Amino acid sequence: MGLIQNFPAVSILLCLFAGIISSGLKKQAARYVNTILISGVGFLSLCTLMYILETGEAFVYVMGKFPAPWGNEIRAGVLEAFMALFFCIIMLLSLAGGRKKLADEVEDGKTFLYYVLMDLLLASLLALVYTNDLFTAYVFVEINTIAACGLIMIRQNGRTIEAAARYMIMSLLGSGLLLMGLCILYDLTGHLLMSNIKEQMGWIYLSGQYKMPALVTIALLSVGLAIKSALFPFHAWLPDAYGYSTVSSAAILSSLVSKGYIFLLIKIIYRVIGFEVFYESRIVDVLFAFGLMGMIFGSISAIRENDVRRMIAFSSVAQIGYIYMGIGMGTQAGMEASIFHILSHAATKSLLFIAAIGLTDVSGGSRQFIELTGSAYRNKWAGVAFTVGSLSMVGVPLFSGFISKLLFAQAAVQNDVKMLPALIVLGISTILNAIYFMKTVIRIYTPVEEHKYESIAFKNMKLYVAALLCFIILNVVLGVSSQPIVDLIGQGLAMFS
Amino acid sequence: MYYMILSILFPICTGVYLLVRRDMESRKNLLIVTGAFFVVSAVLVILTLCITGNGIFTLFSLTDRLPILFRIDEVSVVFSVMTIVVVLCAGFFSFVYMKHEEKEKRYYGYYLIVLGVLVALCFAGNLITFYLFFELLTLSSMPLVLHNGSREAIMAGLKYLFYSLSGAYMSLFGLYFLERYGNTLTFSAGGVISAEMAAQHGELLLGICFAMLIGFGVKAGMFPMHAWLPTAHPVAPAPASAVLSAVIVKAGVLAIVRVVYYIYGASFLRGSWVQYTWMILTLITVFMGSMLAYREQVLKKRLAYSTVSQLSYILFGFAVMDGGSVTGGLLHVLCHGFIKAALFLCTGGIIYMTGKTRVEQLRGIGKEMPLLMWCYTIVSLGLIGIPPTGGFISKWYLAQGTLSSGIPGFSWIGPAVLLISALLTAGYLLPLTIQGFFPGTDYDYSTLKKKEPPLIMTVPILILTVLSVEIGLFPQIFINYLLRIVEKII
Amino acid sequence: MGANLFSNYGEAVAMILFGIGFGNLLLQNNLIKKIIGLNIMDTAIYLFLAEKGYIENRVAPIVTNGVQSMEAYINPIPSGLVLTGIVVSVSVSALMLSITIRLYQRYQTLDLDEISTRLKKEGL
Repeated sequence: MGLIQNFPAVSILLCLFAGIISSGLKKQAARYVNTILISGVGFLSLCTLMYILETGEAFVYVMGKFPAPWGNEIRAGVLEAFMALFFCIIMLLSLAGGRKKLADEVEDGKTFLYYVLMDLLLASLLALVYTNDLFTAYVFVEINTIAACGLIMIRQNGRTIEAAARYMIMSLLGSGLLLMGLCILYDLTGHLLMSNIKEQMGWIYLSGQYKMPALVTIALLSVGLAIKSALFPFHAWLPDAYGYSTVSSAAILSSLVSKGYIFLLIKIIYRVIGFEVFYESRIVDVLFAFGLMGMIFGSISAIRENDVRRMIAFSSVAQIGYIYMGIGMGTQAGMEASIFHILSHAATKSLLFIAAIGLTDVSGGSRQFIELTGSAYRNKWAGVAFTVGSLSMVGVPLFSGFISKLLFAQAAVQNDVKMLPALIVLGISTILNAIYFMKTVIRIYTPVEEHKYESIAFKNMKLYVAALLCFIILNVVLGVSSQPIVDLIGQGLAMFS
Repeated sequence: MYYMILSILFPICTGVYLLVRRDMESRKNLLIVTGAFFVVSAVLVILTLCITGNGIFTLFSLTDRLPILFRIDEVSVVFSVMTIVVVLCAGFFSFVYMKHEEKEKRYYGYYLIVLGVLVALCFAGNLITFYLFFELLTLSSMPLVLHNGSREAIMAGLKYLFYSLSGAYMSLFGLYFLERYGNTLTFSAGGVISAEMAAQHGELLLGICFAMLIGFGVKAGMFPMHAWLPTAHPVAPAPASAVLSAVIVKAGVLAIVRVVYYIYGASFLRGSWVQYTWMILTLITVFMGSMLAYREQVLKKRLAYSTVSQLSYILFGFAVMDGGSVTGGLLHVLCHGFIKAALFLCTGGIIYMTGKTRVEQLRGIGKEMPLLMWCYTIVSLGLIGIPPTGGFISKWYLAQGTLSSGIPGFSWIGPAVLLISALLTAGYLLPLTIQGFFPGTDYDYSTLKKKEPPLIMTVPILILTVLSVEIGLFPQIFINYLLRIVEKII
Repeated sequence: MGANLFSNYGEAVAMILFGIGFGNLLLQNNLIKKIIGLNIMDTAIYLFLAEKGYIENRVAPIVTNGVQSMEAYINPIPSGLVLTGIVVSVSVSALMLSITIRLYQRYQTLDLDEISTRLKKEGL
């Protein structure tokens, strides 16, 4: 047992402790703690990733002294470590990009709470990524929900509180279903650790007994997590929550929180239920169908939206539809595409949110399209960043969005039944994406006659520009040299079983 | 090898440089710098064509199976030479034309980027590279369409964008399949589809081919996705429409050549339903384009419809898949490129000097600017196909190839449609000449002033005119070169 | 099927309660009623768990009178899960209630839809 095997557990604990300590600190100090924490955890995850790549196999870390069927375990494979690293990077950049804005958005006395919530959010995300125990996963799902709710609500106006209420209600419905699913699963198998459940599930599946309860469990787990990650018909809370919270919150909520749940679902599919069993149940088709609907209806709502941040939020609905479409494809390639899209969407969507705030700031704070006219000239960096994000979303080659679409299509081509609907909807949704993103890009680059608003100088937004640049680089890297990452994902999925 | 990359990157980088740098102190400086960029780009491309052999240059890999690579073959040479000539002529033309337009720097920036992307399209060695630059071409040429920023221009730009993106997606759809069912996406003369695959997935491959034809056909203005062309061309500045109409739409033609002859191979498609449908679509487009042009009164729109019709001449030549018709099609790529650019530049000259855009306003124009109108007349004759111009030769090969192809029905209907369309072409191009030189007895000669445009506008037009005539006078050099291509792909 | 239901009446009741709670949380407009629904839902799950962990004729897993034999006690894990679940559900309920108070202070109503329409009118 090497030193590095402690890192996953240590990073979760570090986050929890940092949250506790920060609650007694001033805002400046809390921010430092938070920044150091995220970078530190990122570093630990990187070490873990290197270690696993070197040894070539996943490791299990036993919490406390109780061995397998009773104790609580943490398991780290390539994909887990990579996700943890990626989440840290996105969180760090999103916070850096939104830091200047945070002073306007959150009351001064409450800023430290913002960082406390961030610490807790990171803790719960890491736990969701690493845990090998289903009930632990449930507990951290709830912690994640609470932290996310706080992040929505910390900007105090009527909209955000209402959005937080809606978010909580939907989330609680989701976690209720999830918990019920867990209990039935426990009832069926008598275990809570993922590896043991999978073993038992394999037996049950082979013996042909308990078909109905198994199906119900799979359905409950999938639907519960789908609700929590805002799959299409359950997305009503999303535009308000992403549209009116602070910019860093919006970026992190859309790119990390919902992705954490999806990652948990993928883990459950592979490590709890077993890919074949999951595929045999027809739940995949349901997810596939809802994914397709989300892709179209999300984009249509985005086109009708007049508010740039809500538009980006609705686009998230469509993108989550993509991910579920990939999962619903029921093939290894589809799953790889989905995981790649988790990365690519996280990199792009947070970029868009942060770029959008730069544009609205130089338009008198208004988010209506009409006011945004020419804003890209007033804040050049945000304009460029928004354009890059849009191109990536539309799926122009060289950016990450193209690769994920390519992977989805390649996966679709392998599946004879789902090929046509997937490709057609992919096409329609690409064109719909192009409609609203390109419309916005043209709008922000249309010159205005009279200069109503001041433009912003570079020296007032160094950190912001740095964050944007990092996001752009991340996007291009994902778009240009995707093969190593795809290989990594494939390796990680292989390690799941 | 590195010349290839340099000749692609140089225009793109200088274009980006023009876009991001501060405004120049004087207009003169801007023009000197831009002119230098133009010349260097052209020299680089010519050098590349002379030096580089048949090697493959891989830039990097998107994924393991999808490298971005470049290779120069004869088709690249034909298209890139045409591109360079037209883009350069129109570029120097805009030095005067753009005087009164705002945001000149931005215009030249995007213009250079478009040049680089076009060169890259010519050099692209596989389908994914081609697709990448095809998308970039749409995005970088869109600012040229919506240059003046009016509501009309923006709507036209959006229309252009959505047509192109829909088309590009349809071809991407095909790319996904070919990536799985074809062996490779690298272009190679005669096709890359193995006999085994062709036997197993024949119908599927044909369907994909059709989707790609329609998809890339959007750029080439093929019916039923031609409607963006007459909207987008008139709102762009005249030199930009010249480039759009003469070169950018040819990217669609090049795409179809690559897909049909370098991915699928003529033998796979010959006699299939795809070929017949394709021929029908192109014939419809030829006829419809001419008809619409005939009825249109705004000169630039008329020329745009004419482009729709002429491009389908080329596509029809490729659809017939006979040695003669393909030669004719390739030759017509050159002819139409030079002629249409010259026509649009003439229109630009007229608009610049008189501000008139409609055909009926232009009575007596030949008396005001005789040199320009002579050029217009000569290239019009070329487009109609009257000897000894280049258009005659290319149409001759087209018709002859079709007749000898022996495809039932089409070998007769095709030439007939081409002939009718040629008459219509005469009908929509020549009235301007006739009214221009012979305004009629009631024309008031006293108000007549010589309004010949400045030299820098007329010289590019003259060059293009001379080139188009030259193809007709010495066709053998061109034909021999094109036959080398045709031998390989048929 | 019917016989199964009857012999497992505890689970059946838990499921019915879960449905009631779920429906309330989803469909009620009044925030307080939603929270009540949430609690019913959670309680139903605890009932289910407790029912699953219970073994006839045994006692709660607390060592009394020095009896250490495993056969004397019921399965302790579900009880542990219920305890954890209660902690989670209490904190979530508290958070929901605090949100409700905030909304009530601002809008003097507990009806979520009405709050939404009012927000739209405010144009925030």
